[in-house]
Amino acid sequence: MLDVGRHPNIELLSYSEVEKVEGRIGDLRVTVRRKARYVEEDKCTGCGTCTEKCPTAVPDAFNEGLGDRRAIYSYFAQGIPSTHTIDPDQCRQLKGKKCGICAKTCQAEAINFDQKDRIVEIDVAAIIVAVGYDVFDPSRIPEYRYREITNVVTAIEFERLLSASGPTVGHLDRPSDRAVEAQIEELEKKARKSQKVLGKLEERFGESSAEFHEKYQAGQYQGDQERQKWADKYAAHLSVMEPLEDLKKRAEGFTVAKRLAFIQCVGSRDFRFYPFCSGYCCMHSVKEAIIAHEHEPETRSTIFGMDIRAVGKGFEEYKIRGGDHSNITYVRGRVAEITEGANHNPVVTYEDTRERKVKSQEFDMVILATACAPTKGIIELAKVVGIELDQYNFVKTSPLSPVDSTTPGIFVCGCAESPMDVPESVAQASSAAERAAEIAIQPRPEMEHAVA
Amino acid sequence: MNKEILIIGGGIAGIQSALDLADMGIKVHLVEKLPSIGGKMAQLDKTFPTNDCAI
Ligand SMILES: Cc1cc2nc3c(=O)[nH]c(=O)nc-3n(C[C@H](O)[C@H](O)[C@H](O)COP(=O)(O)OP(=O)(O)OC[C@H]3O[C@@H](n4cnc5c(N)ncnc54)[C@H](O)[C@@H]3O)c2cc1C
Ligand code: SF4
Ligand code: SF4
Repeated sequence: MLDVGRHPNIELLSYSEVEKVEGRIGDLRVTVRRKARYVEEDKCTGCGTCTEKCPTAVPDAFNEGLGDRRAIYSYFAQGIPSTHTIDPDQCRQLKGKKCGICAKTCQAEAINFDQKDRIVEIDVAAIIVAVGYDVFDPSRIPEYRYREITNVVTAIEFERLLSASGPTVGHLDRPSDRAVEAQIEELEKKARKSQKVLGKLEERFGESSAEFHEKYQAGQYQGDQERQKWADKYAAHLSVMEPLEDLKKRAEGFTVAKRLAFIQCVGSRDFRFYPFCSGYCCMHSVKEAIIAHEHEPETRSTIFGMDIRAVGKGFEEYKIRGGDHSNITYVRGRVAEITEGANHNPVVTYEDTRERKVKSQEFDMVILATACAPTKGIIELAKVVGIELDQYNFVKTSPLSPVDSTTPGIFVCGCAESPMDVPESVAQASSAAERAAEIAIQPRPEMEHAVA
Repeated sequence: MNKEILIIGGGIAGIQSALDLADMGIKVHLVEKLPSIGGKMAQLDKTFPTNDCAI
């Protein structure tokens, strides 16, 4: 990734979108909108001082909303380029309120609230479409209760929970527990504030709030307005402390998730959504179960699937190793429903097709192996670029020219073409690069097919 | 002089295409709609089947 930022032959146009393509193979004019970052690319050093000071917290998309970022942000820590960006929908200043704190802290004077989108035109010989995919939204399957049961997450969310650079620094803290911890933090903040007020009163009157309150309740200070106020403040403080103590007691029992269920084909091989197999999801469930077990050796995982598709070099061995060394049990069956049991534990109901029985099992967390869905903007982009899409809205190709779109000079690779894993994406990418190079290097595009 | 190429999307596929072309001496413009390149792979903890770090 770093190489892309440094390579003299690569111009990186990040935070940009293609708006128009004109011409034909070998001679295409492309119009690109470079969206305003409100940060000068040539001045920003990526130091991150601004994000430390920005008061506006926003759910962090890179962490799938499991953590926060600031209104001024870098998409992720090692992101290329490291230039920061202000989110115009969230920034106080850009929404017409008073702020500008980032501009005051930025030593490089890189913040520019007046920056505008820029339009650039580029002449190229060919285009490669590599816009990838979106994660299928599992809330479309009501029986899995994603977003209703907090401890049911998607596989990509689980990747972020496993990651040392993620919101839990790699600990498998359950979302329900994290919600309680967030509540504790919130209440502690309140408690600190009310404690400060009480502290001043205690100093002034020379006794503790508890001692005072006992006397007050015994009727000692009737008609004393000052002490009436103190009593009110004390009552308010207690109304924070009581739930806080309860939550803290509950939190003492929290442990990391150790009983994991992985549910395959969520949206894939399902005629209500996508009839195709997304290809990589069986393998990423095996992977995530192996890594979870590496983090915590007591972890036991059950992978529920119609079959585990381990088609690829070294994949079947990987699957078997997971079963032998990482406490993975493979259950053949489709999950009918997920419900919520005690302690926010998801309960999985499924048919064990080997034993021909309907069973239920409780877990600490459930991970949904979501389908590879075509990326949202692809219909629009296909119109702009002038290519056809297939029945699912992946870029249309044919079996004998898997990286050629329906338009000469426009190629495709990776999940924009169809669901595929990283090794396949890379192979297709090299192949698309080669096809594009034929046009860039040969000035006579009509020779294109004669070469083969 | 070689002509130039446009790549739309800076995930692992777009990045690989860009590097291949650039190494052949062809000038590439890589358009990514998000603030940074990397795509989904940057979000992954490790990748199967070798469990190498994703980035
Ligand atoms: C949970 C999970 C775990 C996985 N684990 C593994 C694994 O361990 N090993 C493995 O081999 N595979 C794994 N995969 C599959 C892997 O994510 C894909 O194979 C790979 O990311 C495909 O790369 P891509 O470049 O085609 O797409 P993407 O990664 O989706 O990249 C596309 C890029 O294009 C950009 N883009 C989109 N639209 C536009 C537009 N209109 N203009 C400009 N830019 C645009 C996007 O912002 C993005 O940066 C996993 C998938 C999931 C969901
Ligand atoms: S905008 Fe300024 S403070 Fe923020 S990362 Fe860039 S140089 Fe640092
Ligand atoms: S102006 Fe304020 S809210 Fe906006 S990015 Fe800067 S510090 Fe954040």
